[in-house]
Amino acid sequence: MTTILVVEDEPEIRRFLRSSLGAEGYRVVESPNARRGALDAGMHKPDLAIVDLALPDRDGRELIRELRQWSAMPIVVLSARAQERSKIDALDAGADDYITKPFGVGELLARVRVALRHAAQPPSGEPIVLGSVSVDLEKRLVTRGGEEVRLTPIEFRLLACLARHRGRVATHKQLLTEVWGPPYAKQTHYLRIYVKQLRDKLEDDPEQPKYLLTETGVGYRLVDD
Amino acid sequence: MKGYAWAIGATAACTAAGLAMEGRFDPVNIAMVYLLAVVIVALRFTRGPAVLASLLSVATFDLVFVPPAGAFGVDDAQYLLTFAIMLAVGLVISGLVESVRRRAREQSKLELEAETERMRSALLASISHDLRTPLAVMAGASSTLATKGESLSAGERVQLASSIYGQAREMSEQVAKVLEMTRLETGALRVERDWESLGELAGAVLRRLAERMAGHRIVLDLPAALPLVRVDATLIEHVLANLLENVARHTPRDTLVQLRAKWTASEVLVSVEDYGPGLAPADLERVFGKFEHGGPEGARRGVGLGLAICRAIVALHGGRIWAEAVPGGGLALRFTLPLEAPPALPQEQPA
Repeated sequence: MTTILVVEDEPEIRRFLRSSLGAEGYRVVESPNARRGALDAGMHKPDLAIVDLALPDRDGRELIRELRQWSAMPIVVLSARAQERSKIDALDAGADDYITKPFGVGELLARVRVALRHAAQPPSGEPIVLGSVSVDLEKRLVTRGGEEVRLTPIEFRLLACLARHRGRVATHKQLLTEVWGPPYAKQTHYLRIYVKQLRDKLEDDPEQPKYLLTETGVGYRLVDD
Repeated sequence: MKGYAWAIGATAACTAAGLAMEGRFDPVNIAMVYLLAVVIVALRFTRGPAVLASLLSVATFDLVFVPPAGAFGVDDAQYLLTFAIMLAVGLVISGLVESVRRRAREQSKLELEAETERMRSALLASISHDLRTPLAVMAGASSTLATKGESLSAGERVQLASSIYGQAREMSEQVAKVLEMTRLETGALRVERDWESLGELAGAVLRRLAERMAGHRIVLDLPAALPLVRVDATLIEHVLANLLENVARHTPRDTLVQLRAKWTASEVLVSVEDYGPGLAPADLERVFGKFEHGGPEGARRGVGLGLAICRAIVALHGGRIWAEAVPGGGLALRFTLPLEAPPALPQEQPA
């Protein structure tokens, strides 16, 4: 049975998370603060953690860093609207995804499912399907409607990096360091240019993309079919 | 300090003028020139410089223009009167000026307080009207579910629950707007600028608002070569979202909406144009006020902060925002963002 750890101090929020996650068939472990969260994570070995960023005893970001030292389980962050900065820090610290309060349960469950799916299956050799586009990372082959799409080496590296985070957010910093290298971590305009080039090559309507999505102020998310 | 320098300068200037007049005018007329200097210093500065100006004036006048020149003479006692008058004029004028200044300061402080008070009551009125209704729905629907849930059909339960969810979402949007306005006004908001593509931001907004804008026909007209802008992406996305929501709120279904952009050497101009009913010319400026709903009382929805927030955000970025009529009916909401020298681009061979 899949176990989900919920680290959240508000009992009313824990209550509806317990109901909805429970109804979805997950086993739920609840911790009211970061200290308990760290203990429960060690004790129950959950498959995924949902961590509120504003915890009473410690910053949620610290907890994420601590968990990341020994666990690769997916972590989904709950953040308030005004916590833009700490949300990005949490993702850079190793969280897989975020959801902004107030949220609907449907949205949360979708995030949880994606995170669990990617954790469960290490990258298979299977091509990624984006509508009529197929991306085969191993063969370094991208086709659109059967025709080969020619990507520059950087376009390909960016697409591969997004594909590794498939379904989840990749922050600007993560993409820039992985594609161009750490000295380029702040050159956000590189991303703007290359994302546009990728969209022009992969999306049916590059102005209103369906697969390579902008997470404003945070990063990008590649969503496959 | 500036005032004292002025007092000395003015006296020196009067002495120069007096020397030019000497022989052709009576000393009394020369004394008048000094009096003028005292008046000017008293008008512009505080009491201290005015007293210094009167003192210096009488002393130089006596030394230079009253015989024996270069010394204080026996008859000089009469110039004590001249001095007393100059001093009195200086004091009276600087006192008057001071009290006028004080009153102006008090007045503007009072006006500020009144404005704050007006804001506060408008905010309260707005909150009580616009947030109470969703709260009433939520309290009613949820208590129905809690106490009578068992005797309702599954369909009815789902309906009640969805209406609670819908109202809660709407309310959370409105509360977020009030908070955002407060943060903008108190300067508590940090602007995090980065190089952004307006086309990308527009795409993200349309995706986020897809449900709310589903009834409208939206046409994007953003040139592919539109330069990057250095802005806070989250804030500019809010501007675009608020402008589009404003259209969704105030125009009928199926209205055509165009989101376009063009640019000059120094700025980008973004427009949201609709072909709806438009606005009376008198309302074009008013819509950017706080707690303005544009339209009849019954049609109001939300706290009426959307466009005021847009104006504050655009101003923070050094741009302008305004509304104008679209020929043939309809409304155009336009804003500008300054363009900065574009950053160096990565070099790579084409594929």
